[in-house]
Amino acid sequence: MELVSRKVFRGRMKGERKSKRKGQSVEFHDFRNYVAGDDLRLIDWNLYARLDQLFLKLFQEEEDLHFYALIDASESMNFGTPTKLHVAKQLAAALGYVGLCRADRVSVQALGPMGRQAPALRGRASLWKMLNYLDSVDSGENVSLFEGVKDFSLRNSGTGVAVLISDLMDKEGYESALRMLIGRRMDVFVMHVLSPEEIDPPIRGDRRLIDVEDGDSAEITLNNYALQKYQETVKSFIGSIKQFCAKRSIAYLPVRTETPVETIVTKYLRERGVVR
Amino acid sequence: MNFVPALTNPLALLLLALVPVGIIVLYFLKLKREPVEVPSTYLWSKTIEDLHVNSLLQRLRRSLLLLLQLLAVFIALIALLRPGYRGESTGQDRTVFLIDNSASMQTVDRNETLSRFEKAKLLILEKIEAMTDSDSAMLISFNDRSETVQAFTTDRARLRDSLERVTITNHSTDILGALKAADGLANPRRSSEIADVNDVQVADAKPADLLIYSDGRFQTVTEFNLGNLKAEYIAMGSSDVENLAITAFSTERNVERPTEVQAFATIENFGTSSVSTTATLTMNGQFLDAEAVQLDAGEQTGLSFVIETEDAATLNLALDHEDDLEIDNVAYTGLSPLRNVSILVITRGNTPLKVGLETENTAKICNASFFSPSYLQTEDYKKRAADGTDDLIIYDTCSPDEMPATNTFFIGALPPSTSVTSPGNSEASNASQTTTSDPTQPPANQDSGSQDSDSPDNNAADAVPAAAETSPAVNSDADEPNRPDLNWRWASPKSSVSLIDIERNHPLMRYLELFSLLIFSGRGVEGPPGTVELVGADVGAILAIAPRAGFQDMVLGFEIISRDEDGTPVTNTNWYAERSWPVFLLNVLRYLAGAADASGAPSYRPGETVRVRLENAITSPSVTRIGGSSVEVTPGPGGSLEIIETEVPGNYRVEDGSKLADLFAINLFDPQESSIAAVKEIDIGYESVASEDTTVEQRQEFWRWALIAMLGLIAAEWWVYSRRVA
Repeated sequence: MELVSRKVFRGRMKGERKSKRKGQSVEFHDFRNYVAGDDLRLIDWNLYARLDQLFLKLFQEEEDLHFYALIDASESMNFGTPTKLHVAKQLAAALGYVGLCRADRVSVQALGPMGRQAPALRGRASLWKMLNYLDSVDSGENVSLFEGVKDFSLRNSGTGVAVLISDLMDKEGYESALRMLIGRRMDVFVMHVLSPEEIDPPIRGDRRLIDVEDGDSAEITLNNYALQKYQETVKSFIGSIKQFCAKRSIAYLPVRTETPVETIVTKYLRERGVVR
Repeated sequence: MNFVPALTNPLALLLLALVPVGIIVLYFLKLKREPVEVPSTYLWSKTIEDLHVNSLLQRLRRSLLLLLQLLAVFIALIALLRPGYRGESTGQDRTVFLIDNSASMQTVDRNETLSRFEKAKLLILEKIEAMTDSDSAMLISFNDRSETVQAFTTDRARLRDSLERVTITNHSTDILGALKAADGLANPRRSSEIADVNDVQVADAKPADLLIYSDGRFQTVTEFNLGNLKAEYIAMGSSDVENLAITAFSTERNVERPTEVQAFATIENFGTSSVSTTATLTMNGQFLDAEAVQLDAGEQTGLSFVIETEDAATLNLALDHEDDLEIDNVAYTGLSPLRNVSILVITRGNTPLKVGLETENTAKICNASFFSPSYLQTEDYKKRAADGTDDLIIYDTCSPDEMPATNTFFIGALPPSTSVTSPGNSEASNASQTTTSDPTQPPANQDSGSQDSDSPDNNAADAVPAAAETSPAVNSDADEPNRPDLNWRWASPKSSVSLIDIERNHPLMRYLELFSLLIFSGRGVEGPPGTVELVGADVGAILAIAPRAGFQDMVLGFEIISRDEDGTPVTNTNWYAERSWPVFLLNVLRYLAGAADASGAPSYRPGETVRVRLENAITSPSVTRIGGSSVEVTPGPGGSLEIIETEVPGNYRVEDGSKLADLFAINLFDPQESSIAAVKEIDIGYESVASEDTTVEQRQEFWRWALIAMLGLIAAEWWVYSRRVA
């Protein structure tokens, strides 16, 4: 199993991925005329014999892939059974492991200050480091999505595959964050984690809803009509994300926390082309 | 469908209308919301924004709890308006309910479970419930007395309570008092002078509906004018009834055989079908005798039982037959032993009298003491006479100065005259005084005071006719026509007497056969007004009795033993040899001396005040109904006792400690009450009031159903609420 990148990026080190660079791999890429100074080892002598012209045989360079798994570790992720954060960490670990196995450069990090401690890992042996880091990730980083992504972008100048695992419930909106990732020419995947309690809340009656992130409250009388309205809002919210992502070639994958992670990885992520 | 609002005050209605508004306001102001943590209010805020677009209407429309609450309040409001249909409405807003609670209303008609009285109460209750706030009503109950249970009021609760207080009685029926009570406001009496134009009638007539709930078993009312009262008669009960009743039950001791008691009963069938049953007689609770009774409708029969007893006893006769009216199926009577009476005899010697008063039968009830006329002057006599110690004083050919305070029997002499002003009467008075003075001037041998004096003295007897003969005015009231003569006098001179007539119905004359009597010398007597001639003869009344201030005086116009010129006693009549003589003396003892007063206990109607005279020695008697409770009573002066707790039929004993002092019985004995077939039409004054259909249209009330629906809604609302909170 390997991570799929829909774009070809330049890696930093020799790897197993096709790179934009021409190099030393066995995969033929193109011919070009010889110019002075070229490496004579690359001249296709068979062609010279036939055409009596010097051509250089170019090969595809194979480099490593930069894989970033960005986990939204805000308070809102600490909700549901199992919590959305837990599912997000599982997904990140699974994808990270796949990347490590394929000699990719894997960086699993939480958005916000905790992300700065995240190590960039390579090789299967680094798995335990990744898991240790994930263990240390806890909810409570109430940074907005945009701020978190911005911080990530400033710290990581390279391109690669970025998987954003979040519930996207940011009152400032998710759009700017995704735009920033796109602007960094990342191959962006969005894994939208939602718990069933969010999609179909089991509460009724006259309630005062308190936002766990900012303590904001909203009074509402939860009757069937209000719930129906809420579900319509959720549906519309998901629909708008899908549309936003589709326009920008962002792969969107809704994830429900009650779905087992192995099912998500082996089935849904394959279907969506995140792994193969 | 119409409404009878329980509240008519506009302010109250306004307040009621504000209740739903208040609920809605409270619903929105409800402060307590349960806090719930959510990952983000981001999406909720969007939802709330959507809801806020038409939040008020949405919340009202979508909140099932609020809808249920409002619906419950709405139904409660409807219940307060008392919806109903086909309510009976009378033309007038004033109603007088007359409810008959006499004995006949206890009847439980065939195929009915409630008595007529209970049905009447239910019908009145329905009427009360159908009243509006502007209607007023009055409640009067009537039996042999009427009672205004509730004066005019618009308060239905008070009317209901008053109706609850009315209870059935065992009394007979008289509607006149109730009609007069109802009449007061409807037909005010004229308070002004007819001719005086400045004097106007003050009280306005207030017409009213008069609803009479009765079986119509009362005397026709003639002296009453309904006037502004619009009478409706609601006949309770049916005309097809079954009732066998005891209408009389009494006991009588056999004079000749005092231990033998005869009990007489009259049983009448007031029903519409023939009845065959048995009548059971019990004495002191023990079965004694029974007799079969078979009566066709409307027939009556008499039963007699012979009982042997000397002691006091209580008897009751029961019909072993269940019919519509139970109270007249049992009758009670009591039997007390003959009383021992004290007799004082003033005589110069009268062997037949003495023998007659000392027979075996009379000796049992009589304690006679004999004195000569000189005893009349003694202090002892005067005290006895004034105190009324003796039950009877017999003056044999003599007369006292003043009449004693007890019953008297004069033989061959007249009672002393009272104060008289007319000359004629003065002579008569003188004559009488002569008579009375005779004993004070007796022959020498009378001073001995011997009770068996045989000295001749005819003056007493002879002096009066002389006065009568010499003074015709004695027999005439010509001098003072306006003043009734209160004195006794001779009506004729002495002559032989032939008897003509006997008042056989008088108790003193019972069982007497006197026409074989020979009387050698006698005179007719005339008494004061009220005198009853017991034996009439050719010379006028030869035996007469007259009342005197609570006592009775009997005068016999001839002597039993007279004296010849030598003063030798000679018989003036052969009566002493007749069988009627001791019987007559026994009658005198029983009825004049009062021995028979207690021989058969009197019967009174339920509710009647019973007056009993007891001996002065009894200070704390108690009255006990056999099988019932005992009540301590305090006798009034002179030993008179008034017992008012006589509602329940039964035998009542007046006791002094454990000793029986008197007996009486309470029985219905009222054919008018026992005749229980409901009357179709009653007459009040000049008007006949036909029975209304008792199945009158009743107002169908829906408020109870509305309240039940409201409770159901509240329960549903609570269920929905609990489900949501849970």
